[in-house]
Amino acid sequence: MLSPRRSRRTAATVGAALSVALMLSACSGDSGGDSGGGSSDGTIDVWAHTGQASETEALQLLVEKFNSSQEDVTANLTLIPEADYTSTIQATSAEELPDVMEMDAPTMAAFAYDRKLIPLDDVVSSETLDNRISGVTESGTYNDATYAVGMFDVGLGLWGNRALLAEAGIEAPTTAEEAWTTEEFTANLEKLAEVSPSGKAIDLGEANGFAGEWGTFTTTPDLWSAGGTLMKDGKADGVLNSDDNVKALEEWASWREFADPNTSGSAFPDGQTALTWTGNWMYPTFSEALGEDLALMPLPDFGNGTKAGHGSWQWGVTPVAEDAPEAAGSFLDFLLTDESISAMVEANAAVPGSTSSLEQSELYGAGKPLELFATNLESACGSDGVTEECIAVARPVTPGYPTVTSSFGSALLAIWGGAEVKDELDSAARAIDSDFSDNNGYQDD
Amino acid sequence: MAHVSAPSQRISRRELASRVPHYATLLITGLLFLAPVAYMVAASLAPARDTLAGFAVFDVRQWGLHNYSGVAASLSSDSTGHLWRFFAVSFTVTVAVVGLGLVVNSMAAYALSRLAWRGRGLALFAILLLLIVPFEAVAVPMFYLYNDARNTLWIQIVPFIGNALSIFLFYSFFSGIPHSIDEAARMDGAGPWRIFWRIIVPMSKPAYASVAILTFLTQWGSFLWPVLMISDPNLRPLPLQISVFAGQLPPAWGQVMAFGVLLVLPVIVVFLIFQRWFIEGVASSAVKG
Amino acid sequence: MASPALLLLLLFVAVPFLAAIGFSLYNVRLGDPRAPTFMGFTQYARILTDPDISRQFLQALLHNLVFAAVVVPVQTALALSLALLVKKTIPGVGIFRSLFFLPVVFPIALVAIIWRLILARGDDGLLNSALGFFSGGAFASQDWLGSELTALASVIVLSIWQGCGFQMVILLAALQQVPAELYEAAELDRASAWQRFIHVTVPGIQTTLVFVALYTMILSLRVFDQIYVLAKSGGGLNEGATRTVMYEAVTAAFDENNIGRASAISVVFFVIVVILSIIQRRATREKES
Repeated sequence: MLSPRRSRRTAATVGAALSVALMLSACSGDSGGDSGGGSSDGTIDVWAHTGQASETEALQLLVEKFNSSQEDVTANLTLIPEADYTSTIQATSAEELPDVMEMDAPTMAAFAYDRKLIPLDDVVSSETLDNRISGVTESGTYNDATYAVGMFDVGLGLWGNRALLAEAGIEAPTTAEEAWTTEEFTANLEKLAEVSPSGKAIDLGEANGFAGEWGTFTTTPDLWSAGGTLMKDGKADGVLNSDDNVKALEEWASWREFADPNTSGSAFPDGQTALTWTGNWMYPTFSEALGEDLALMPLPDFGNGTKAGHGSWQWGVTPVAEDAPEAAGSFLDFLLTDESISAMVEANAAVPGSTSSLEQSELYGAGKPLELFATNLESACGSDGVTEECIAVARPVTPGYPTVTSSFGSALLAIWGGAEVKDELDSAARAIDSDFSDNNGYQDD
Repeated sequence: MAHVSAPSQRISRRELASRVPHYATLLITGLLFLAPVAYMVAASLAPARDTLAGFAVFDVRQWGLHNYSGVAASLSSDSTGHLWRFFAVSFTVTVAVVGLGLVVNSMAAYALSRLAWRGRGLALFAILLLLIVPFEAVAVPMFYLYNDARNTLWIQIVPFIGNALSIFLFYSFFSGIPHSIDEAARMDGAGPWRIFWRIIVPMSKPAYASVAILTFLTQWGSFLWPVLMISDPNLRPLPLQISVFAGQLPPAWGQVMAFGVLLVLPVIVVFLIFQRWFIEGVASSAVKG
Repeated sequence: MASPALLLLLLFVAVPFLAAIGFSLYNVRLGDPRAPTFMGFTQYARILTDPDISRQFLQALLHNLVFAAVVVPVQTALALSLALLVKKTIPGVGIFRSLFFLPVVFPIALVAIIWRLILARGDDGLLNSALGFFSGGAFASQDWLGSELTALASVIVLSIWQGCGFQMVILLAALQQVPAELYEAAELDRASAWQRFIHVTVPGIQTTLVFVALYTMILSLRVFDQIYVLAKSGGGLNEGATRTVMYEAVTAAFDENNIGRASAISVVFFVIVVILSIIQRRATREKES
């Protein structure tokens, strides 16, 4: 009992032995999905999250293409639902992980801290590393080493239906400077509610679940734009529950009366609501449904300039592949070629993650439909020092992030349900600080 | 008893009249109970745009099987998991837990009720104690303890074979079998195994049926444990898979409902075939317990 | 003969439970390779007294108790009414028996998904459309799962729908064992239907009624699946108004990697179950004697 880890091992061994005996005598064991692989036999296991259907398909095609492009390495892809993805990695011991795994940007530090990732500086080719755009480089760096590489970065924005906007007599802002103030935004919601067929002006992404990572990703721009942030110097008290944050989230919660629950998953593309608050990955669906009527706008300005999240899904290599990382490296190099990146961003309309592919992009660049996202990323900064000029802000890079997002997410859900903002944020801040102090501030050495 | 029941063709008018409100109540409650099932079936057949459009799902003219072919198509690769495999996993796990559980637990109950061995009293006391430990109370520590067995088939089966409630139900049933019967067999030179297999087991079919059905129902719907232990799509049982499928973006509700229909259909068929056993099994276990 | 079952119970109930006690004294983190540090009873102190953590935990416990306080009487009464409705062997009654039992074979995860669509916010949900339709539009659409007032009630309704048939079958069996002579005698005494129910039916099935209530009580404490499905996969469930003890344990372990606290919650949960079981045993024993 004194050593939980040892007793765990012993129990698992006894359990396994017993069950093997039982399985042999009683029923034929079925060993379908073996996890943890060896790169030695030329097969690498790859885990990825199930995102938008088109994104998942693109990834499956890329894996097939990789497998047929050469004969030395076969990549074996397993898809895990987004809702359970992070906790699945967290629950899987390092030896049982695949060779290569995808992860959401803010979770990278926690996995590196848990020794579930190895530095990529010698695994991925230097051409690939040097070609990354700065946002991707920043989200992949922890303790001065590269632990993750991304095919793309993300953009979060306000999308409008021009037909409905015109009907309400509203003009869509196009650049960050023109972003609506929160007063304008609320006034517009009122007007747009009248012209929206569903009676609701906006889909705020409630169906994605505010308690999960989506909640943190989608509401932190409100905090940054109000002059607040999540944590500073490893402390949440006095930061997360600041007056700026309280005001911002009170504002956010007040939009609920205009918010469509979007149970169908297609309220905005169906023309049911005039606005939606979501990321680049919806662009293909939206532009197909609305065509010329689709407008991309900056998020509302809470006083400190409009802000947007950045840092998206990225790839890392686990200790399983440590002895022979070449196979994993070659797979990542393949994923990060301009050709692969453009196949992927065609499916999810993300900001291409390499400088050369960004230059060739059909969507990003002067006068292109998603120019706003790329310009947002040009002025990027970290969550610790958010200035008025910076637009794209990364979520905090700390091994304690799982607790940060879980506590903040619970608070968000309660606030959305009508709870007192200050109380919820106070409580979340205390929970985060107590977790950090339990873990010695997540000092990693 | 024969004098109580009047021949059915001569039901009096008064009795007939008294049945009208009875049938009306039955019909109304029946419809209320059926509504969610009817909705599921209708939504599985209706076009996607009607799933969340009030009564539109019940528009029979629009119905078709596209959601079913859709499910089959979207769950057909190793990375998403195959439709047939979810059934295979659930089926294997349930059959193994029920089957092995019947053998192991009835053996234990027999030893506890008929054989003299050291520690029997203690074991019996322990079983009674374990009766009140719900699985939920040990799920999380067990998840950590057996973490190395994540994503295996055995970890879905083995922890659920030994079951204190099943032992207890068998124990109560066996205790009701007169000892004189096995005494007689012992006189003829039969050992404990022989007595168990040849005499006790054949006499205890109702107990086996009710334990089997109870275990089947809990196991088929098992959710908490797979949530904690299974992330490999090729080892996911049905209830976990449907929640995964429902969480996908954008949600394909028609397909989710089609999957739901496919999920319960085999159980309903089994239920209809063994209806009498089901109901008697559930009932007798409770009256005994 | 008892050894396989006893060994399994030891490994998968007793050992994890003892391990939970051990884990709860350490800062055990999921996935962290560093050795856990000793914390003493800090986790327990936090669960029970820390203003934030205990608030959530006690809230969760309260939800379990409210759930039990509503579900135990309502579901038992409903199950008894249904059993009385289908007791008499009249033509077609078998269909209704099966109908009321049907939801029992639905895994609760699937039930949660079906009801999530029925209860959908806005005018699209089946329930909102139906209420709007029958009230001639006077009824404004409700956010059944999201509103603090109706969230827990909605979960209760869908749970009762799923679980009621099981209790009905048990009660039906008990009803059928009440000797017909007693009813005939009561009828000769010109007892009214209500009097017959109170003086013949209820005493006749008392033991079973108590069993059903106990069983439902324990189930109410274990509620997890439906809350998890509705809260996690974007079901829009008001988490704060519905979280249960098991949900707390699983999210502490899964979302915050805090195995230590999750284990402490499991231990406290176990103690509560034991206390309630003892109180109930006492109460029923007094009644019986």
